[in-house]
Amino acid sequence: MSDGTPPAGRDAPLTVALVGNPNTGKSTLFTALAGIPTRIGNYPGVTVEEKIGRFRHAGRAVDLIDLPGAYSLRPQSPDEEVAVSVLHGRMRGVPAPDCVVVVVDATNLARNLFLASQVLDLGLPTVVALSLGDLAAEKGLAVDGEALARRLGCPVIPVVAPHGTGIAQLRDALLSAADGPPPSPPDLAAHLAPADAARPAAARDAIARYAWIDGVAADVVRRSARAGRSRSEAIDAVLTHRIWGTLVFVLVMLLLFTSIFRLAAPAMDLISAGMDAVAARVEASLPEGPLRSLLVDGVLAGVGGVVVFVPQIALLFLFIALLEGCGYLSRAAFLMDRLLVGAGLSGKSFIPLLSSFACAIPGIMAARTIENRRDRLLTILVAPLMSCSARLPVYLLLCGAFVPDVAVGLSWLRLPAVVLVAMYALGVVVAAAVALLLSRTVFRGPPQPFVMELPGWRWPQAAVVLERVREAAWSFLKNAGTLILAMSIVLWALGTYPRPVLPAGAELTAAEARGEALRQSFLGRAGRAIEPLVKPLGWDWRLGCAALASFPAREVVLGTLGVIYNLGDVDPGEEEGATMLVRRLKAATWDGSDRKVFSLPVALSIMVFFALCAQCASTLAVIGRETGSWVWPVVTFAYMTGLAWLGAFAIYQLGTALGW
Amino acid sequence: MAVLRRILNMSQTDNGAAARGFRLSSLEQVPVGRSASITDVPGVDELSLRLLEMGLTPGTGVTVVGTAPLGDPLEVEVRGYRLSLRRREAALVNVAP
Repeated sequence: MSDGTPPAGRDAPLTVALVGNPNTGKSTLFTALAGIPTRIGNYPGVTVEEKIGRFRHAGRAVDLIDLPGAYSLRPQSPDEEVAVSVLHGRMRGVPAPDCVVVVVDATNLARNLFLASQVLDLGLPTVVALSLGDLAAEKGLAVDGEALARRLGCPVIPVVAPHGTGIAQLRDALLSAADGPPPSPPDLAAHLAPADAARPAAARDAIARYAWIDGVAADVVRRSARAGRSRSEAIDAVLTHRIWGTLVFVLVMLLLFTSIFRLAAPAMDLISAGMDAVAARVEASLPEGPLRSLLVDGVLAGVGGVVVFVPQIALLFLFIALLEGCGYLSRAAFLMDRLLVGAGLSGKSFIPLLSSFACAIPGIMAARTIENRRDRLLTILVAPLMSCSARLPVYLLLCGAFVPDVAVGLSWLRLPAVVLVAMYALGVVVAAAVALLLSRTVFRGPPQPFVMELPGWRWPQAAVVLERVREAAWSFLKNAGTLILAMSIVLWALGTYPRPVLPAGAELTAAEARGEALRQSFLGRAGRAIEPLVKPLGWDWRLGCAALASFPAREVVLGTLGVIYNLGDVDPGEEEGATMLVRRLKAATWDGSDRKVFSLPVALSIMVFFALCAQCASTLAVIGRETGSWVWPVVTFAYMTGLAWLGAFAIYQLGTALGW
Repeated sequence: MAVLRRILNMSQTDNGAAARGFRLSSLEQVPVGRSASITDVPGVDELSLRLLEMGLTPGTGVTVVGTAPLGDPLEVEVRGYRLSLRRREAALVNVAP
């Protein structure tokens, strides 16, 4: 970087658009040119990421716009529409580009030149960045950059972005190109076959363009004899093999899943412990009252509830960025596609759905890797049905306490374990059914293509991987985090006010007082009010209240049950707390009678409700943020809550009728 | 579906390939490990246009490298790169041996 005094009239920043096929090293080049982006957001009205970075070169400020990867400028996907709008200067809030940088992958010259030649048609000053020359050499291909520049009529700069090679030349080239005349568009007329006159214009154009490209490629590509298969092909032969490929896939997914499930746990515990320590200090330094309660139970609990997701998000995106960087992400989608097509999804939905078994929030964010808008929305809508780790304690407690420990057929196969597995299976089956139903109704349309490039194997770039992790964590904290925090404060207020009126002269223990406060709050009153709604599920008003209280976050349900049954602050996660809670639940009776509340059908109905219900405000906030619309969180909430009620109703009535 | 494909292939007979004695078939029918030459992607739907834009133009060579464990999708090599296609998409591509 060389900062000088800007010449007169040149102080306005230059706008440069960066375009290229997917998997061409475009992100690496963006980082090498502009570093960390100065602006990341969504383009108005679409869920396509806008990424702008600024750098100075030779005294001039340059705004670099990273356009989404595209194969063609004939827009077919929202991503390509955005790329085309920006290039034509039609995108609101984005200045028309002064210059275009096209990334061209040397290993795959012909298909990359298709997009490059369409860019030349735009009549904008253009520079070609020729990337991945090192990988091309491995394949026995050499691309003559100077010959290519002559054929295209624009500068061609070979770059090896990870090493910074060619970056300075590229900056020089785009500054001088921006001030010069645009290159002339390629002459396709000679290649238009008269026999194709009846075909659609796009088909004629594509055939003629490739005929022109074949001529260019013949001039500029030198092939050397290669010694056998390239390394990339050898790796590919194993990893897409029917048996070995499947085995490696299972191992990689197992590693991914256990790591977001287990590796994130210490960091999450640390965050919880840190929040507890802060809460304890606040409690010690403030007098008891509404302010302390707001700070500790509203604000701090809310902040903790937001930050606690960051380790899982960061880990999952670390994995995804590594898999994407080396080319395995598309292979994984390739291997799993057939399985998911049956449910109206595609292979790319697999990793987001698998991650959702740990937590739907990173899972929904991982759906960003699905380019197809319909598949992405469907995946986001069904991801919360996967039984996340917050449901596990509910299953474990209820299975252990209320499902009789009898053998099912085989002596080692116990009924509680079968019920536990059935809860996980229920989520998967319902998700498949919902996805299938939606893809046949609301999202009906022409078949969604799965024409997907399987990029060559390469080493992931550390800078790109870290940027991906940083961006995912930051966008979650900034966008979803504030919403989650606001909601947790509102819910604190609902569970705290109005203040309880305690009966005069009654000597209540602290635990009884807390129980009374919750029962008299808005939340408790709502719980009583909805009793007619939950009675068909076999629940009394206390259970209805606990279910209501766990709508913001289902993990609080056991704690809420503890409070509502006057246990005070026992931790149901601890052995002692759990046994106390189970004893209290087993003893619970309906108000005004000695009929027990809990039975096997009631326990099953609670579990089915929790398996299917959208009891997670954070998930809904993330769905809102990722889809850029409040419609989808509302839809998710409505359909999941409806299904949960129906499922719980069905299992309770069935269980009661069969006398379980 | 099969009937439709036959009709599509029949419309190709005046294209010359069949007249020269080639057995016309679609990319879907090419066995794993075998190569073929694309004769056309005659459809006018978005998907066919996209396949042309991805470089599956008449005269281009294509090799079926493998299939996913459940038999679908296919992995093909075309113009020096690897592409994943579902069988129903490969059926849109006419090839000659």
